[in-house]
Amino acid sequence: MKAFPLRRAVVGLASASAVLALTACGGNVGSGSASEEEFPTKPINVTVGAAAGGSTDLIARAIAEGASDDLGVAMPVVNKPGANGALALKETQGKPADGYELATLNASLVTITPLAVSESEAVSLDDVDVIVGLSQDDYVMVASPEAGVKSVEDLTKKDNLSFGTTGVGTGSQLAQALLLKQAKINGTEVPFDSGAPAVTAVLGNQVQVATVQLGEAKAQIDAGKLVPIVVFSTERNKFLQDVPTATEEGYDIPVSQYRAMVAPKGTPEEVKERLKTSFENTFKTEAYQKFNEQNLLTPKEISGEEVISEWTELAKKYKDLTAEYDIDLKQS
Amino acid sequence: MDFLQPVLDGFGVVLAPTNLLYCLLGVVIGMLIGVLPGLGPAATIAILLPLTYGIDPVTAIIMLAGIFYGAQYGGTITSVLLRLPGEASSVVTVFDGYQLAKQGKAGTALGIAAIGSFVGGTIGIVGLTFLAPIVAGFALDFGPPEYAALALLGILLVATISNGSKTKALIAAALGLLLATVGRDVFTGAERFTFGNLDLADGIDFVPVAMGLFGLGEILYNLEERHRAAKAPAKVANVWPSRADLKQSSGAIGRGSVLGFFLGILPGGGATISSLAAYALEKKRSKNPERFGKGAVEGVAAPETANNAAATSSFIPLLTLGIPANATMALMFGALLIQGVTPGPQLVDQHPDLFWGVVNSMYIGNILLLIMSIPLVGIFVKILRVRAAILAPVTALITMLGAYTINNSMFDVVLVVAFGIIGYLMKKFGFEPGPLVLAFVLGSLLEANLRRSLLVLNGDLGGFFGRPISATLLVIFVFVAVWPMIQSLLAKRKANHALVTSTSQKAKETV
Repeated sequence: MKAFPLRRAVVGLASASAVLALTACGGNVGSGSASEEEFPTKPINVTVGAAAGGSTDLIARAIAEGASDDLGVAMPVVNKPGANGALALKETQGKPADGYELATLNASLVTITPLAVSESEAVSLDDVDVIVGLSQDDYVMVASPEAGVKSVEDLTKKDNLSFGTTGVGTGSQLAQALLLKQAKINGTEVPFDSGAPAVTAVLGNQVQVATVQLGEAKAQIDAGKLVPIVVFSTERNKFLQDVPTATEEGYDIPVSQYRAMVAPKGTPEEVKERLKTSFENTFKTEAYQKFNEQNLLTPKEISGEEVISEWTELAKKYKDLTAEYDIDLKQS
Repeated sequence: MDFLQPVLDGFGVVLAPTNLLYCLLGVVIGMLIGVLPGLGPAATIAILLPLTYGIDPVTAIIMLAGIFYGAQYGGTITSVLLRLPGEASSVVTVFDGYQLAKQGKAGTALGIAAIGSFVGGTIGIVGLTFLAPIVAGFALDFGPPEYAALALLGILLVATISNGSKTKALIAAALGLLLATVGRDVFTGAERFTFGNLDLADGIDFVPVAMGLFGLGEILYNLEERHRAAKAPAKVANVWPSRADLKQSSGAIGRGSVLGFFLGILPGGGATISSLAAYALEKKRSKNPERFGKGAVEGVAAPETANNAAATSSFIPLLTLGIPANATMALMFGALLIQGVTPGPQLVDQHPDLFWGVVNSMYIGNILLLIMSIPLVGIFVKILRVRAAILAPVTALITMLGAYTINNSMFDVVLVVAFGIIGYLMKKFGFEPGPLVLAFVLGSLLEANLRRSLLVLNGDLGGFFGRPISATLLVIFVFVAVWPMIQSLLAKRKANHALVTSTSQKAKETV
């Protein structure tokens, strides 16, 4: 895996600087004595376990853009989709723990996906060093106006509605399954490949309800083409102030998507500190804050330790809830 | 005239020198990356995205859109010259395009494809201009049952368009359907044929399959051929389609445009099915369908027109409903968000300059592409004059590189080699790779939507006939499936009047 001219070409393109690309080539030869020079001395790869264009990818690009200015080296984003991001994470784990190989990590991969997939596909937080938490992305349940439902209570009175999810092992599936059980709603769950086809299906009233990430449905909600029913964050989403949370309605469904930056296990403390500072400086930039606003993301810029404790707690919570309500995500 | 005013203002936006420049830039980049298999428009747009932060939203989207439809033009070139279809929607082009190239008529094929792409693209834009809000609803009328019926029809068309043995085509298609099942079951999370390998968890990507079976398989086969008989490099006779070729393909281009426009609106698989359907339609209409697969110009004109019309109309769901129909559209969505514009139902009202600026830039972009393609055709066909000993390894290298860049995965490179060997063996034993690849693409569409339909319809198969669109599609399916049998029965009855044949022989032929 030494000579991939194309990856270098991508590096060069992304940094738009031939000089940096050359540094990258030289970097392989011998950078054992990292302590002598100030970190970083060469480009830092950010691996994203999702295809280009999705919200995870856009977040990685926005944060890399800012941090690369702060660190003074290029931070090319490398997309490596597969197995909900597990593939990218496992690959990152195998990279040298020198701070030059980072990855984004979605909370659902460690908190929800293990409930739906086999042991071999599951990943654990123990296998990585978490550098910093990034943001929170909320799930909203939307309905077709033709379905004639405006609230969870309306849903309980209907029979035979179809509920779209964005796929097996996602927050959308978990949140919706929990609500159906807790509120005793009769309905059929229909998994789609991702958010966009699920939204399309609700717009056409092919399924009457779906739970998707806010960014995927906000424009349609604003245009009155989709009716927001409930948000699954514990507090009201600031971009959707009028919509009640499931917690307010009396249900115990604290499901949101969280994202964090991680590095291979065993990355030196001072390198992690430097990276953390650069991310924190990015958080303060106007460009990054504007990015969060436009993508309807709520900042959740917490430390690596907080990420670990919060996500571990969530994983346990979801496991308990699915056990309590007898939900098997594998059998939707 | 209220309607026309913003349209005209849109032209004002496009004709600003900056926008024209970015439009040109976009289509040139698009065409170049279209030539490189694997490096698709989605990856390119992702890389170039940061460059658009500093420029005006309209300008940015004009450039990104240019990359997208420019790539459709470029993709044809490798399909015709090297038998490398970079996208599912250009698999069908390979059938006749590569044959034409082998006969020294690569110029004809590329010329016809360029003209067809231009006409298809332009008709798509006209449709986008005048029908966008109306036909957007068409995409919404397509629920799981409709997609299932459409995919079923598509798979049947796969079997009918192939040449040679129908049985072998069916075997290849069945193998394609089987390959489509590899990966995690999207309904239950169960792993299927992954052998615990994470690389297979999301199934097999289209590109390694197509690159291996068509590209590498052909290279391997040719190596063997050359040992038997030394073959001179293909002669490149004409560089421009003759008047007769144009006349022959005009109908195909017209029908392909309409088919492509409507099917392209459907997110997921629309463009592939449109190219397939356009090809099948031409073959059915043709007086001598046996020419297809052996270098019929209509066989290039129809799918190329259709996939370009589809590429254009795939903007409709994004611009009118806010739904990204494919990975490239998802990136456009992201690019618009970064610019502070949320694509959605209100886009036309809130940002008319953006909407019409982008739509109208496509007219200009298409003209630019046509102007560029014509002289380039002459240059590209020269590739065929390169000796096979040089061309084959270079092609193989590009193929591997292309496969690697899609997911940045070495595993995909290994897949290309594996499918290259399968492709070689298939060719050796008289199997066409086309049905396998197309069935592979349509297989997951069929399976997922059939299961989704059964969930929505509560397991009632009759529900498919209770919905007008799916019922119509299924009736067409039955017709297409049964018509050849009726036809041969009728023909036989006619023949029976003239001479008496034994019943046993008749039975054998009907089967």
